[in-house]
Amino acid sequence: MLKNQIARTILGRLGRALSVGFWVMVISFAIMRIIPGDPASARLGGVEEEAIAELRKQLNLDGSIVQQFSRYVIDLLHGNLGTSLQTGRTVIDIIGSTLPLTIYLILFSTFFAVILSIPIGTSIAWSGKAPIVYTFRGITAVILATPNFFIAMVGILIFTVRVNWSPVFGYEPEFPQNLKYLWLPVVVNTLIMTSVVSRVIFSSVVETKEEEFVETGIIRGVGRRRFFWFYILKPSMAPTVVLLSYMMGTMLGATVILETIFTLPGIGREMVNAVLTSDYPVVQGILLIFGVITVFLSFIGDVIAYLLDRRVKI
Amino acid sequence: MLGNHLLEIKNLKIDVRVTKTRRLSIVDTASLIIEPGEIIGLIGESGSGKTMLCRSLVGTLGRRGAYIASGELKFDGIDLITAKQSVWNDIRGKRIGYVPQSALAGPNPVMTIGAQLAEAILQDENFPKSDVEKRSLELLNIVQIRRPETVLKQYQHELSGGMKQRVMIACAIAQQPQLIVADEPTTGLDVTVQAEIMELLKQIRKDFNTSIILVSHDLPLINEICDDIVIMHAGTTVEKIPSKSIKASKHPYTLALYNSRIDLVLPKGQLKTINGQPPSVGSWPEGCRFSERCDFVKDKCRTKQDLPLIEIGSNHQTSCLRYDEIAR
Repeated sequence: MLKNQIARTILGRLGRALSVGFWVMVISFAIMRIIPGDPASARLGGVEEEAIAELRKQLNLDGSIVQQFSRYVIDLLHGNLGTSLQTGRTVIDIIGSTLPLTIYLILFSTFFAVILSIPIGTSIAWSGKAPIVYTFRGITAVILATPNFFIAMVGILIFTVRVNWSPVFGYEPEFPQNLKYLWLPVVVNTLIMTSVVSRVIFSSVVETKEEEFVETGIIRGVGRRRFFWFYILKPSMAPTVVLLSYMMGTMLGATVILETIFTLPGIGREMVNAVLTSDYPVVQGILLIFGVITVFLSFIGDVIAYLLDRRVKI
Repeated sequence: MLGNHLLEIKNLKIDVRVTKTRRLSIVDTASLIIEPGEIIGLIGESGSGKTMLCRSLVGTLGRRGAYIASGELKFDGIDLITAKQSVWNDIRGKRIGYVPQSALAGPNPVMTIGAQLAEAILQDENFPKSDVEKRSLELLNIVQIRRPETVLKQYQHELSGGMKQRVMIACAIAQQPQLIVADEPTTGLDVTVQAEIMELLKQIRKDFNTSIILVSHDLPLINEICDDIVIMHAGTTVEKIPSKSIKASKHPYTLALYNSRIDLVLPKGQLKTINGQPPSVGSWPEGCRFSERCDFVKDKCRTKQDLPLIEIGSNHQTSCLRYDEIAR
């Protein structure tokens, strides 16, 4: 009976994720069609009708909207997101070559942010000593208030210019050679993420430790490790997990700043370039991928939060 | 000299750190004796120090920045004031069980009821893991929970208030402790459930000869099941009296508490209340702390002095200076 309930809750959440995914698809389809003017003629300027018609066909802008949409969906199911107008490469190919870098960047910084935030947030919250708490709040506030490009620039100044531990530009996509180029952006991103995540963990733990069940646990004589996990961390983790899944989604687009400063060929930069050069199929494809990944991450985040703490409504 | 009582508290003073240098007494001159198998009711208004007194018995004062400043506190001959972590490890969950305020808490929200019972049962390191489920069901049966197999797999938010509190009692008695501290165990439960929980505690005392400290602000509720009642006011224990003779109390505060019962009000009559507010921590009056609210106050009550509990009858102690003049 209970297993069923868990399965039902998760399936329900999956259903909603899929429907959101569908709307993401619809929106990425609609964007090229609702922007003012005709993308094809805007791109080609005043050339003859035939060329424009040809481009319209290539962009799947000919025929009725229903025909366009069904063609779009069929193409999607075949893994075809169109071709870049700028370079002639397929959009799938472009995503395939730029997305891994950004994923690496996000996964590494999230991993290290979690590893750092849990001990920092819980120990400071548990000690509750005013000077430590104020110092912690102060430092994280300063980091959060500083724009990430500034932190990145300071990082470059120290680690590239002064001590030359990090290359100025370039990238090798193979793991682990790519770490040579990635470590500094990961450090910068980790620093910023840790400030956010450790604050959230801190305030959740402060809240949790005042709860009566924590006192009951102490008085029941629960052993230290068990106590730390089941009475402090687990009840405090749900907000953090949800926040992390959300942050990872938004970072897909936000890493463009870091990618630009560190001249890394990631998907954020690709997206901005495509927007600047009116490369509609690429914009459309990347938006779709961003949307799908974000929906997927928030689904995973909600499920983990729910499994950790059944009070969470998902 | 402390004798062979199960629990003996003598002139206990609990202070709390407000700032680095400022200290505030939240309990002082609290005295209490409990014998094996006895149920003691600890009664008082909010802020009278009942909860802090309970916390001192389980060593969690530090969580609230409080500490024992002076006095004596002995459990079965063990000095709890100087107790080290290893001593607490032997006492908590094993020899002293704890039932929290129900409305605030209940079981851990991220563990199943079964996991928490198992935790309580396995405080005894030698208990065979294979028998944990059997023992869990047994405990749930003792606290009269229906469908215990289902409850084991549930989380606290799936249970009613009364059920949660039964689970907490089941956890508290897992090791058959000598003493159960129940800190307002029925607050926030409806009246019929309150009565059931009281009945359950009574049954547990009968079956396991467990002593119980029952904290409440509801005198009529606990008067039925307690052997003795200890009344606290503004950080002091002002009277100890057998529950049977509560009407013969010699302390105006006890009488006032007793008389402010809603069930004593005649139709169209007026509910008797206690004058004023309990004095707040830090601004206790000198002399008798009830003096500002007392109908029987005389000048001698207001002069600065210690007011120890005076033995005035069998098992009856009071701190009122005018006890011999007080009549109901």
